[in-house]
Amino acid sequence: MALSIHQQICRSFSQRVGTSTCQSCQFSTSQTLHEVRKLMRMRIVDNSAIGKAAAQIGKPPKVIHVYNKRQVGFLGDKVLVTVKGEMKKAYIVGLRQKQLPNVPRMDTNNIVLVDDKGDPLGTRVMVPIPSALRGKGGDLTKILSLATKFV
Amino acid sequence: MAASMTIRNIVKQAIFIKNGSIGINSKLNVAHKSTHRAHNPNYNRTSAEVTLALRPKQNFLHHDLVDKHRRSPLQKGTEVLQTETEVKAPRDYRFVMPEFMPRPNFEDRDRVLEKLERCDMFRRRTNITIPEFYVGSIMAVSISDPYAPNKRNRFVGICIDRGGIGLKAYFVLRNVVDGLGVEVMYQMYNPTVHSIEVLKLEKRLDEQLYYLRNCPLEYSTFSFDMEPVLLPRDAEIPVNTLKVKLNPPPWEQKWERQNLKGIEPLELTPRMIRGIEMHLKPWEKYDLMLHYRSKVPEEEEEQIMSEVYKEKLKQDSLRKVTKATLRKKK
Amino acid sequence: MASKSILTCFLRPSCTTLLGSNGTVASLLPTSYVSVQQVRHRRYPKFVVRQNKRKTWHVRKWTQKYDDNLLTSNEQFIKDVIVENYAKNSDSPLKDAPWDRNPYVYGTRRTGVLALKLGTMLQWTTEGKPFMVTLLQVLDNHVINYVPPEVYATYPSHLPHHRQKFGLQIVGALSSDPRMFSKPYNNLFIKAGVPPKRWLTRFLITPNAACQPGTPLSVNHFKVGEYVDIQGRTRDWGFQGVCKRWGMKGMPASHGVTKSHRKMGSTGGGGDKDGIWKGKHMPGIMGDILRTQYGLKIWRINTKYNVLYVTGAAVCGRPHTFVRVYDTVLPRKKRPESSYESVPMPTWFEEDATEPLPEEYFDSKLFQFTSPSLEIEEEKK
Repeated sequence: MALSIHQQICRSFSQRVGTSTCQSCQFSTSQTLHEVRKLMRMRIVDNSAIGKAAAQIGKPPKVIHVYNKRQVGFLGDKVLVTVKGEMKKAYIVGLRQKQLPNVPRMDTNNIVLVDDKGDPLGTRVMVPIPSALRGKGGDLTKILSLATKFV
Repeated sequence: MAASMTIRNIVKQAIFIKNGSIGINSKLNVAHKSTHRAHNPNYNRTSAEVTLALRPKQNFLHHDLVDKHRRSPLQKGTEVLQTETEVKAPRDYRFVMPEFMPRPNFEDRDRVLEKLERCDMFRRRTNITIPEFYVGSIMAVSISDPYAPNKRNRFVGICIDRGGIGLKAYFVLRNVVDGLGVEVMYQMYNPTVHSIEVLKLEKRLDEQLYYLRNCPLEYSTFSFDMEPVLLPRDAEIPVNTLKVKLNPPPWEQKWERQNLKGIEPLELTPRMIRGIEMHLKPWEKYDLMLHYRSKVPEEEEEQIMSEVYKEKLKQDSLRKVTKATLRKKK
Repeated sequence: MASKSILTCFLRPSCTTLLGSNGTVASLLPTSYVSVQQVRHRRYPKFVVRQNKRKTWHVRKWTQKYDDNLLTSNEQFIKDVIVENYAKNSDSPLKDAPWDRNPYVYGTRRTGVLALKLGTMLQWTTEGKPFMVTLLQVLDNHVINYVPPEVYATYPSHLPHHRQKFGLQIVGALSSDPRMFSKPYNNLFIKAGVPPKRWLTRFLITPNAACQPGTPLSVNHFKVGEYVDIQGRTRDWGFQGVCKRWGMKGMPASHGVTKSHRKMGSTGGGGDKDGIWKGKHMPGIMGDILRTQYGLKIWRINTKYNVLYVTGAAVCGRPHTFVRVYDTVLPRKKRPESSYESVPMPTWFEEDATEPLPEEYFDSKLFQFTSPSLEIEEEKK
């Protein structure tokens, strides 16, 4: 009688399986948003030498600045990343975040490295790029010319 | 029993007589027994007044009254909703077109709003074929894209989720393109969507297939040039009993807690088992009110689905039978 | 705001704000018989019940529930009599001659309308952008009375800066059984010759837009593409803490914080006042107050069910709240001079329609579902 019904049921289940404890979480949590913020690890999807080297070593690039008022990156935003000890600029071409209707969501956060002028460091982009980036213009047009496939 | 009742009545009367001299305060229901004005802010208020002031006030009209006013003979100028009596939908038709079902919260529902929304949905369905599909079906969607060469952007994928009510109805397609898993959410009634085709109509064992994100990529790969698979007319929807193998953890969600049927049995660590136990809700099976409130009453469902079915029959008869229809005639 | 939370508990009739909770208030009536005031620093009882002084001009709305012990056949007979009295007498010849219909000029204020908020829906523009609309149903509205400016100037609720510019138009919605109400309340509707209404409200109007009592108001009073203001009572959240009510941040959940996670914290600084400044944000009753949304566009009108589709999901209140809808006061969103001739003045009458009305009117920028799928165009820079 001292135990609540929940505890009794859990107890019986645990007796069958062979473990114990019954504590509930006191904190409220939101779902994971997968937002691009500082110190986030990204994946380089072009065939630049630095990108390939970083992938081989196993040290992915980390975002250290987002060129955005809100400091949260979206598709097509410019970011500053550290790759193998160097600081490079990059553009976001794919996000793991939940997107608007008709905009694709990728399984990895993809970036394409770019130099200070805005020219991409690689020569090809191997993964599909969202078609929604085509209307944005600016430096993205140079990146989109490297793309093989649009989704 | 009778003896105690009489004793109780005597005691009650005694209290009344005792308090009767104070008058109206005899009905006060305050824990602090003092009747002195300084200590009692509700001095001279009857319990009826207190309950009246504290009752939850509603600044909206009760949903039954709304419909009553609409149907009232004193009302003129606004038409009354007609009930559907001619056609009767097949049983469980709500699973074929779930976006027509209203939300189960009966207090916030409005029949006129639902009717108008359904009208809009029927109109959209005359311009575009929105086929019957389920989670696990492989579909192709073509949307308007100003930058694509032929102004169309076509995506093929497996439907991993479906939801939304009314015009907000959506579904999510997943595919693997050039080694990268891609998911796109489409709104069914969005006017920029030009065509929705079902290439392979089938069901899976689960209602959502988000676990495919943590599976090897072969399970989510479907060719963009896939040919539509035709089913005989009036056949039952085939259920794909495929049990998918998950990648080793860590996973995106705690799949072990979700009681999924479409995955192979998992190797549970003690920590996982503890977590499952903690989040078990075995009483939900017995919670009748929970089940009742999560659904729309059967009479309403029949009414709405009959209307939907009637409209569908009308549209089917108007539409020509083309090569792209999924179910061929016998 | 803390002091205002007390005031909102009992309404005072004022020129533009005559709403109340569904069961109790009409334009000239008191709110509940008693009102509730928050009491701080007292643990028991939580509320002090204050008696609201009833004004002499207020008309009692509700009677005690009638208990006639009628037979069912007599009950039916009474209902038939009610229907016959009100619903079937509308074709009889008028007692008074119909009032003049003046043209719309700059500075005219027309009546508004009482609408029922149905809920929200998704719509798309012709460019393919989705947006939310709120549906408002204009159900069973009639004009009940007109008070000319000279008479309104003698009312206690008259504001001095209005001078003698505006008259009052009293509009009612939702015809109900007269047995529900008191005799004085039912007498308010004799002039209009309509069944007694559940809701009443006032609108300030210029005398050239005066409507004759008894005129029905419908959705055609408005036109698609026009802008309206919507006044309504917000959702009643009850007694709420400071984090929900004022958006205060509270304190961390751990790291040594003792028993103060969602509290106000400090009550202020110092300086000119020893103590707490008036209007300090504190916990209290939240919601259930009158709020106005300005400049909402009408995208679509359904004449069959008398429904307005209005921008946004921000119309106050839960579904089935009643709201006041009237032409906007925002100067940039008022109708242009070119449309003055087509404005239904003082309201739309059935005789105005030369042909049968179309079931729906759409704004030119609204995507109609009868048209084929949209092609998105390239963004021009």
